[in-house]
Amino acid sequence: MSGNPEDDDGQSRIFNRRALLLGGGQLAAFSVLGGRLYQLQVMQGSRYAPLADDNRISVRGLAPRRGRIFDRTGLVIADNRESFRVSVLPASPAELRRILDIINRIAPLSSDDIERVLAKAKTSSRSRPVIVAKDLTFDQVAAINLLIPKLPGVETDISHVRVYGYGQTIGHVAGYVGSVDRPALDDDPFLKLPGVQIGKAGVELGMDADLRGKGGTRRFEVDARGRIVRSLDEVEPSPGGDIATTIDIKLQAKVLDRMRSEPRAAVVVIDVATGEVVVLASVPTFDPNELVTKVTEESWKKLQTAEHNPLLNRAIGGLYPPGSTFKMVTALAALEAGAVTLDERISCRGSYEYADTTYRCWKRGGHGRSDFSRALRESCDVYFYELAQRIGIDRIASMARRLGLGQTYASGIGLQKQGIIPDTNWKRVTYGQGWFRGETILAGIGQGYVLTTPLQLAVMTARLATGRAVVPTLVRRATDGQPENPLFPALDIKAEWMDAVRRAMVGVVNEVGGTGGNASLEGSNAVIIAGKTGTSQVRSSAAIDGDSEVAWEHRDHALFVSYFPASSPRYAVAAVVEHGGGGGSAAAPLVRDVISMLLEDDPIARSASAQEALRSPPADFVRRER
Amino acid sequence: MRHWYASEASSQSSAEKIWRANWILILVLATLAAIGTMTLYSVSEGSFYPWAERHGLRFVIAIGMVLAMVLIPIRLSLKAANPIYFVALALVALVPFAGVEALGARRWLSIAGLQFQPTELMKLGLLLALARYYTWLPSEKVSQPLWVAVPLAMIAVPVLFTLRQPDLGSAVLFGVVGLALMFLAGVSYLYFAGAVALGGIAAPLVWTSLHDYQRRRVEVFLNPESDPLGAGYHITQSKIALGSGGFTGKGFMQGTQSQLDFLPEKHTDFIFTMFSEEWGFVGAMALLALYIVLLATLGSMALRCRNIFGRLLIAGTAVTIFVYVVINVAMVTGLVPVVGVPLPFVSYGGTSMMTLMAAIGLALSANAHGRERIDAQELRVFF
Repeated sequence: MSGNPEDDDGQSRIFNRRALLLGGGQLAAFSVLGGRLYQLQVMQGSRYAPLADDNRISVRGLAPRRGRIFDRTGLVIADNRESFRVSVLPASPAELRRILDIINRIAPLSSDDIERVLAKAKTSSRSRPVIVAKDLTFDQVAAINLLIPKLPGVETDISHVRVYGYGQTIGHVAGYVGSVDRPALDDDPFLKLPGVQIGKAGVELGMDADLRGKGGTRRFEVDARGRIVRSLDEVEPSPGGDIATTIDIKLQAKVLDRMRSEPRAAVVVIDVATGEVVVLASVPTFDPNELVTKVTEESWKKLQTAEHNPLLNRAIGGLYPPGSTFKMVTALAALEAGAVTLDERISCRGSYEYADTTYRCWKRGGHGRSDFSRALRESCDVYFYELAQRIGIDRIASMARRLGLGQTYASGIGLQKQGIIPDTNWKRVTYGQGWFRGETILAGIGQGYVLTTPLQLAVMTARLATGRAVVPTLVRRATDGQPENPLFPALDIKAEWMDAVRRAMVGVVNEVGGTGGNASLEGSNAVIIAGKTGTSQVRSSAAIDGDSEVAWEHRDHALFVSYFPASSPRYAVAAVVEHGGGGGSAAAPLVRDVISMLLEDDPIARSASAQEALRSPPADFVRRER
Repeated sequence: MRHWYASEASSQSSAEKIWRANWILILVLATLAAIGTMTLYSVSEGSFYPWAERHGLRFVIAIGMVLAMVLIPIRLSLKAANPIYFVALALVALVPFAGVEALGARRWLSIAGLQFQPTELMKLGLLLALARYYTWLPSEKVSQPLWVAVPLAMIAVPVLFTLRQPDLGSAVLFGVVGLALMFLAGVSYLYFAGAVALGGIAAPLVWTSLHDYQRRRVEVFLNPESDPLGAGYHITQSKIALGSGGFTGKGFMQGTQSQLDFLPEKHTDFIFTMFSEEWGFVGAMALLALYIVLLATLGSMALRCRNIFGRLLIAGTAVTIFVYVVINVAMVTGLVPVVGVPLPFVSYGGTSMMTLMAAIGLALSANAHGRERIDAQELRVFF
């Protein structure tokens, strides 16, 4: 029976034993907890401490002020203006909508803006602010700052916006800046700075590394919602370096004005002594200011698909068959190879036969028998077909490269095209087949596969004029007013042949029968100009001599390359008028006008520091001063 | 002998009974409540409002209640045991239909404008009913299958109702406290060994019969860190807070994880983390030591008690506190999944404070009447 004392004692013995067992089990459980805490707090404490700091401390990048860009006379091409911004930390869409709604009452936002912020907040990290609006007024910023306690994660700051004072005139040279594309994001921490802009074209792209500067950081203590509790410390960003370009903005504007009559054209002017690019003009132009402030998807598309593609800088990125302007290359290659002498006469009956194909000369009736000088002056195609055939493509290609074609230059401007100087190796790599000798014939007169940019043609002309390996630059080589005088290495082409080519180029402009007579200046004491025309075929069936009946887009490109003064060269000029018809009729007059402008207001003479760069006395410069 | 006990107990005055309450226990409780108040002061960035002040006040009221409960005659508890259990059971059963939904679970009943959780009443009810059951059951029957099945059913029914709410923390508590009482009452070891073996066999079978998505749910539940932004966020932040607290802690009101809001629920379920971030390993150990002292005090009270009812009541109270503390600390240190159990006497929250203090009151009353003998014949009917 239950209830008797013995029984109870038995039960109480069981209870005592089991209670002690249970107590032991509890102690064991507490030991496990103690061990776990020892593991977390003592053994792994050093691992968790930085994690707590990562949570607590938010490091914000501070974008530096971008370096300014000047023209050669010290006028500002690209500057910065301050802009008030408001940004917000990513939060839930409902919370963000509430915040944006309040901001909207102070600074009106479009529904596009709101969608953009919501989309961006979804993909970016919790500690990276998303920009809501730029270019706020001071009053708007003040009003938002007052409300910040009610707007978790909202911050206001000042950013720099790029301003291009000369707009259309400088668009192609300066280029423009833009925000970093997602796919382009790499490990460079600079690109992760909030609202940082990088060069996308032109000098902004070519000199981006110099213009960028170095980002700073500001460390904040933040709470779990990313709200700033207090500022801890700050490393100031260091602004980017200023860049002085070689462009003469006033001259550039004049040249562009002259070019406006053409739908698409490009002009490059190089100082042959220093390689400085004085004018780099391309039409149509664009205003870079439109691309840096409030670029909407729509306006960007409009620019990209606009007629004649204004965003393309044809001076460095337009690819044209050089046509007859390439004949100097073939000529020098042949002379150097000993394949022709200056006196040998080659007969032209208007066409050239090779392997059952007829290659025409531009002059229907033919030139008759021409020596070197006349063939170049009158641009006899048959003469150069024969020369090309004698020496083969690889010698031509090699000379073309020595004269500066088929390459880009570290000249400080982005988006240069390399062009094509074909040779047997190139053909094999590109098309997987051997070179046909017939292809050499067309290459010899700058047609076929050959493609060049106006900048390359200007470099070629400067090298022909000086006999030195001129390298173009858009950035002044010295910043402290004393430009070093870079004496470019000699090309190592026999002076006799260089002189023969130069004499022929003077003949092109100044002698009877020369194709470039339109480039010569009026007046008996005018500066002597040397040059070479080029007319490159757009379509094989189109008439070679620009027929006005042909539709504009099927007309030939007109080219003219030139240097002057012939006796002591100062400038090289290259011009391409797309679908202009003939080089002599469309491009030569353009170059003549550009030269007039240069003579009227000589940029080198104007920039005091450049005086030293002159190797010949000014008296030699203009004949009338003699 | 029996008479001597009875006469001594009945001769005690109320003042004497209160005086005989275990003051070490009350001192430990007061210390825990003070730690809670201090930590809550830190949670609200150095303010007694809104939590610290109310926590302290609640404790003072609850201590008054505990001292009053010491006077409850043990036979009254015995008589009330089954009614309390069945009323609680009825209310728990009512919750799925009449309950108020909050945070995806239905746990609250609203009666006459007052909201309370029937599971809390059940915590007391189950304790009382099981203690009464083993007082009534002749000791030789304790391990007979039928008489093992009865308390198992008494435990299982509220567990199932509670799981439906869902309130995993309370369900685990009912299970563990119930089984612990059966163990202490002397149910054969063979049953416990058998249950462990059965579980070992059944678990893989159940696992293989689950659908893939069900398994994944179980996996996320067992290892929340596989979902760091969802269920894992709390536990990750808690571990960072504990770990960065280090050996000596960051100092009072200096816990960055808690002060800057990275730590969730820091005034309730994660208050241990909050305290340990600021006071370090040293503080955490001191807090655990306080609980050990509390449990040891209750344990020695249970061993000294002369009647089964009182022994089981005191031991059950100890096991309840133990389960709360272990689940809570294991949860915030990432040893077990987050189930939402407060830290006794430290976490803010009136419900758990009242339940636990009521259990303490019952235990102290049992202690005060520990020398009374209760005859099984007094309890003629089970129901």
